[in-house]
This record gives sequence, C-alpha cells and structure tokens, in this order.
Amino acid sequence: MRVLCCLDGTNVEQVSKAVSTMLRASTMTIGILYVTDTGPQEEMHRHRERFLRPPHPPLPRREQMRQAEEASAREILEEGRRYLAGAETLQRTGRPEREIVNSAADWHADVIVICSRSPRDGGPSLGPKSIGHVARFVLDHAPCPVLLVRPLSGNTFPIPQ
Amino acid sequence: MFLLFPIPVVTRTLLISLITIFTLVGIMVRPWKTNEALIALAGAGLLLLLGLITPAQTFFTLAQDWNTFFFFLGMMSLSALAETAGFFDWLAAWVARRSGNSARRLFLNTFLLGSLISMFFSNDATALILTPIVYSLTTRLRLPVLPFLFACTFIADTASFLLPVSNPINIIVLSTFPLDLWTFLRLLFIPSIVVISINIGVFFLLYRRQLHGQFDSKRLPRAAEAIKHQDYFRYTCIVLLLVAISYVTAAAMRVPLSLVAMAGALVLLIGAWYWKQSTLQATGKQISWSIFGFIAGMFIIIQAVESTGLTAQFGQLLFRLSGGTSLGAVLVGTGGAALGTNLINNVPMAVVLTSSLHSLQHAPLAVQHGFIAATIFGCDLGPNVTTVGSLATVLWLLILRRRNLDVSGLDYFKVGVVVTPLMLLAGAVTIWLLLL
Repeated sequence: MRVLCCLDGTNVEQVSKAVSTMLRASTMTIGILYVTDTGPQEEMHRHRERFLRPPHPPLPRREQMRQAEEASAREILEEGRRYLAGAETLQRTGRPEREIVNSAADWHADVIVICSRSPRDGGPSLGPKSIGHVARFVLDHAPCPVLLVRPLSGNTFPIPQ
Repeated sequence: MFLLFPIPVVTRTLLISLITIFTLVGIMVRPWKTNEALIALAGAGLLLLLGLITPAQTFFTLAQDWNTFFFFLGMMSLSALAETAGFFDWLAAWVARRSGNSARRLFLNTFLLGSLISMFFSNDATALILTPIVYSLTTRLRLPVLPFLFACTFIADTASFLLPVSNPINIIVLSTFPLDLWTFLRLLFIPSIVVISINIGVFFLLYRRQLHGQFDSKRLPRAAEAIKHQDYFRYTCIVLLLVAISYVTAAAMRVPLSLVAMAGALVLLIGAWYWKQSTLQATGKQISWSIFGFIAGMFIIIQAVESTGLTAQFGQLLFRLSGGTSLGAVLVGTGGAALGTNLINNVPMAVVLTSSLHSLQHAPLAVQHGFIAATIFGCDLGPNVTTVGSLATVLWLLILRRRNLDVSGLDYFKVGVVVTPLMLLAGAVTIWLLLL
C-alpha cells in the first residue's frame, strides 16, 4: 500500500501518529509531500501591478525568495523523515490543493493522509467550516481514499443535543 | 489629424470628456494587459493630435509639475541605492532578532518597521521592497506568510500620510496646495497614528490564532549578512539619516522636496560608484520609467478637462455635497477619493481632485483644508479597500472564484473591505476634530 502524507510544516506529528496507528509499517510505502504555495507570491505580483510596476520583483529578490522557500521545504521534509523513517520525499511548487491531487495520481497513492486544516489557519477545529480549503479540495478531487486527520480532543465531546 | 477649424465649445467638451472616460476605463480594465502608461499617453496623444490641447499648454503643464516628476525619480533612486547597500534587509533582520522569538512581536515589529520605511522612503519602498524581504524571512521561520504579507501591504498605505514624503500622492496634492509642514502635521499626523493603531489592532484580532507561538531564531539570517559592503553600508546609513532630517527641514521651510530626494540620490550614487556597488546604468534599470509616462499622460488629460470647466463644476458639486461645512468637506472628500482610487488608481484620482479643488478658493479656510487633507487621506488610504488594484480586478477575481478556482486575492479583498472603511471613518472624524 502506498500512503501519501501531506505536510504543511506544522502537522508532521499528527500525520505520523495517524499513519502509525493505521497500518503496520512493513506493509506500506510512505511518501511525504510538501508543496510550496505560490499563492502569496501571486498576491505580491498583483500588488506590484497596483504600484504600476512589472509583476515580478527584480531577479535578486526572486532568488532570495526562492532560496527561502527551498530551505524551508527541505527542512520540513527532513523533519518528516525523522518521524516517518524511510519515507520517500516529494517536493512540489504550486497551489497546494492541486499539487496534492496531481501528486497522488502521479505517485499512484492508495491513500492520502491530510489534516483538516493547519492549526495556524485560524478556522474552527470542529463543526461547520472545520475543513480548510486545501483539505476540502482534496476530499472533492482525490483519485483515491483520503484519511482526514482531525485535531480533536476528548473534551469536545459529547456534542450537545 | 489636427482639427484645424474651430469647433463649438460643446463639441470640444464632449470630445475631451469621451477621450478622458475611455482613458480612465482603459486604465481600469487594461485590455490585453496593456501598460497603464501607454493608455494614459495614448489618451494624451489623441488630445494633442486633435488639437484639443496645444503643445504649449502640454509643455507648460508638465513643466509646472516638475516637483512631482523629480520627487518620483529621487524617491525611486534613493530606494534602489539603499536596497543595493542591503539597508532594508539589514533593518528587517535586525527587527526580527529583536522580536524575542515571538511571532506576535515579530508581527508588531513588521508594522512598526513598515511605518518607519513608509514615513521616510514612501509607501513604494514598504510595498515593493519590504514585502519580499518579509516573505523570505517568514518562509524561513516557517510562520504563516499571508498575515505578514498583508501587514506589509496595508501598512504601506496606512502609514503614508505621516509626512509629506510618505507617499508621492502627497507631493501631487501639495504641489498645487502647498500646506506648511505644521498644518500638514496638525491635520494628518494624529489621524495617521489613529489609523495605524486601528490597522494593527484589527490585524491582531483577525490573525490571533495564526500568530500564537514562537519561532526558532536559529533560522534567522544574521543582520550582518545583509551588508554587501561595510563602508558603503555605513555611508548609506549616514546619507539616509541626513535625507530624513532634510525632508523635515525642507518641508518646514517650503523647499521643494524633490530637491532633497534628488540630492540624496545623487550623493548615494556617488558613494555607490566610489565603492563599485552600483552605476548610473544599473540604478536606471531599477527605476520604473513607465510611471513618468503614466503621470505625464494623466496630467495632460486632466489639464484638458480642466480647460473645459468640468473639474471646476465637479469641485462645486463636492462643495454643495459637503454642505459648506468642514465635517461635510472631510467626509465627502475622503469618501470620493477612496471610491475613485478603487475605481481607477490613486494617481489619476489625486490629479482629478486636485484640479477640482481649484474652484474652492472662495470657500472658508476650514472647508478648503478639510478637502485638501481628505484628498490626501482618501487617496493614500483608499487603495487598501481592494488592495489587489481596483474594483475591476476584484470583479475578475470573483469571476475566477465562480469557476471554482481558488483565488487568494479575494482574501485580501475580504480583509480590506472590513478594515479600510473603519480606518477611513475614524481618520476622517479625527481630521474633522482637528479642524475645529
């Protein structure tokens, strides 16, 4: 079984816990995926246009941002490998929701493990809108079953009638 | 084709109005992603070609606004040369190291640094130079990028009326209505502090969950790494400090601020050349020359509109809407400027309003000052409503969203639409209170 785990830099502990309780390590190939989101850079391009400038910043600044993204992605994936020993690493750049779905198809994943939302997203962890837009898109478009990891604690239950 | 034969006044007014409307709509929509400067220059060129404005009038208009052109040139050159020295990277790294590993303190420091840079180097420097630096920093620190990015882009505009040099729009308005420094500060400094505080407070509330926790300072670059050449860096710091002092002194003595910006840029360029850090050509490449075409085109078009008397009538309309009171002047001026900047762009809106306010010379001084301060305030802060550029861009993003494409630009709009009207109202009321 091939299990694709989607990391966002904050959720590796949750994801690894979910994977280890799901299956015995010997029966599966684990892939850890990190996507560098291009959304914020698109914001910057739009903002530069408002200031009547070309959308892309000058080359040295682009290089500085690329290096920062590269260093961060490498670090997150290394951290992932410390939690999920022997995992294959996949690094992509683009809109996370699309890259996750496309990577799952390319990598022939049998299961995708994803958190409902990043703890830093700010949304609710339970109830309506508790699934962030990335997880929502993956649930809607994934080419295989999805294991949704939720940051729930026992004291949120029972749900009031 | 020149219209060499005399044309009736009504036809002339109609032709000028049509060309102006087409140009403004062109700037709004930007068909085939055409550069705004080309659209503005095409409009101005058509007016000249049809003889609706004479070459002499054009020359006189552009020569009259030399302070604005040279300020833009000096400001962009100063920022480019300071960037070459690593000044902004050094400041950002220094500020990050003083955040005590706290994401919240780093967020607050980003606002404070953005305010300081906008105050002395204009909102361009914060929005265009500080934003990618903060993006790189927060990416390395593995902090949520968007709140910090929004902080930079918002504070660029929110802190852009602390001083006359904080936004080129201020120079456009003040070149026509030269308020003395004391009046400028009296009317706009406290409103600046009020809206900056609101901006920071609301952002802390909006992003409270994303900002909890600590970051690992080992991931931070050392401030010294940003310095490319030790001597040139020290020289740049001294020159920039002198420029900052000179800006305030020159504004107090009513010396054109473009002279300070140009002199500062020249002194920095000499240093950069001496230490082989930059050349005239390299600095020239960092300057966005198309901005000059855009401003020149807009100045010419609005001069033509002014000659028809339409802007004077618009000014009178604004005066009637204000009810002749200072509160009305501030509210109408702020609202009109904010709406206009989001429909087109703040440069043409500032030029239109400045031209319109000529007709208010007989209005009471408090009303005149109310309109001038509100024009600066609304044109500087107004763009934060849509942030992505204009309402046309927002509409386009909404269409994309309906096609199930995730559009993060709308996140910007959501924040802008919540925060900016609040800041506009609070700032306008503060200006009014200061007018009493």
